[in-house]
Amino acid sequence: MLFFSFFKSLVGKDVVVELKNDLSICGTLHSVDQYLNMKLSDITVSDPDRFPHMLSVKNCFIRGSVVRYVQLPSDQVDTQLLSDSCRRELTEAKTKQ
Amino acid sequence: MLKYRMTSSLDGYMNRVTTVITGDGRTIVGLLKGFDQLINIILEDAHERVYSETAGVETVPLGLYIIRGDNVAIVGEVDEEIDKRIDLDNVKASPLAPIWIPG
Amino acid sequence: MVLPLSLLRTAQNHPMLVELKNGETYNGHLQACDTWMNVHLRDVIYTSKDGDKFYKIPEVYIRGSTIKYLRIPDTVVDLVKNEVNEVRRQQKDQQRSRKPMGRGGGPHRGGRGGSAAPRGGGRGRGK
Repeated sequence: MLFFSFFKSLVGKDVVVELKNDLSICGTLHSVDQYLNMKLSDITVSDPDRFPHMLSVKNCFIRGSVVRYVQLPSDQVDTQLLSDSCRRELTEAKTKQ
Repeated sequence: MLKYRMTSSLDGYMNRVTTVITGDGRTIVGLLKGFDQLINIILEDAHERVYSETAGVETVPLGLYIIRGDNVAIVGEVDEEIDKRIDLDNVKASPLAPIWIPG
Repeated sequence: MVLPLSLLRTAQNHPMLVELKNGETYNGHLQACDTWMNVHLRDVIYTSKDGDKFYKIPEVYIRGSTIKYLRIPDTVVDLVKNEVNEVRRQQKDQQRSRKPMGRGGGPHRGGRGGSAAPRGGGRGRGK
């Protein structure tokens, strides 16, 4: 759930999503679900000469399973909070066992 | 409240012209008539846009299509105004690489 | 809104093309399908990935998870709409005929349960 919650906190921020077919899409994170499927709005493709396939697309849905990387706005990410949440989730999982 | 606005479904693209980029690297354009939780997709009046480095984009009519969710990478809402302005005959690009499909 | 599996179910007895993830295609008439998209085709023509081999096969059963896409006749999408509309109409008719029964229907109304059962619910997702 950590990554789901984390991406939810990034809704409204600009991200770059790199797919497993090397296509990189830059856009505003509109929504995310439990599978880390994402909807981006106002997108642009990083290399439109190589990838003109999406020129007329402004909003898109990306299946979580095809994502290779997500580039995040580093000034919008509280890494301290992130590592704390990670530890908390780990300890919670352990106590449940 | 926020939860409802977060819903990451394809509802907003229903009955709109959409581009589906598939796991095997094809680009299929058609009217989105339905979908389900697994992202299985129904496209009506679907056409494949075949990209090539040596010639313009070739449009191949496909008809009514059910694309299995496993084979869906991107679903894009087509802005028809922008799409009309694109001269596909003069667009040259290598076809998209496939995404490895598990199973 | 049409659910992909409802559309597939409506396509029963229609011809269709099934392409598998490995590139093979199967052309045949849909005999049956289920909620996993497993399909049973009859009178099939198999085409290999490179389109160099063709076989005629009387009957094929395909596991849903191996399918890449299905191509079905354009007219089938209109049949689903009809089906959905028909179900809605039946529901309305049932509601209408139920209303006057509202008073004093009492325990006898139990019998209506049977006629109400095949409405909406079962329609959504195949069998």
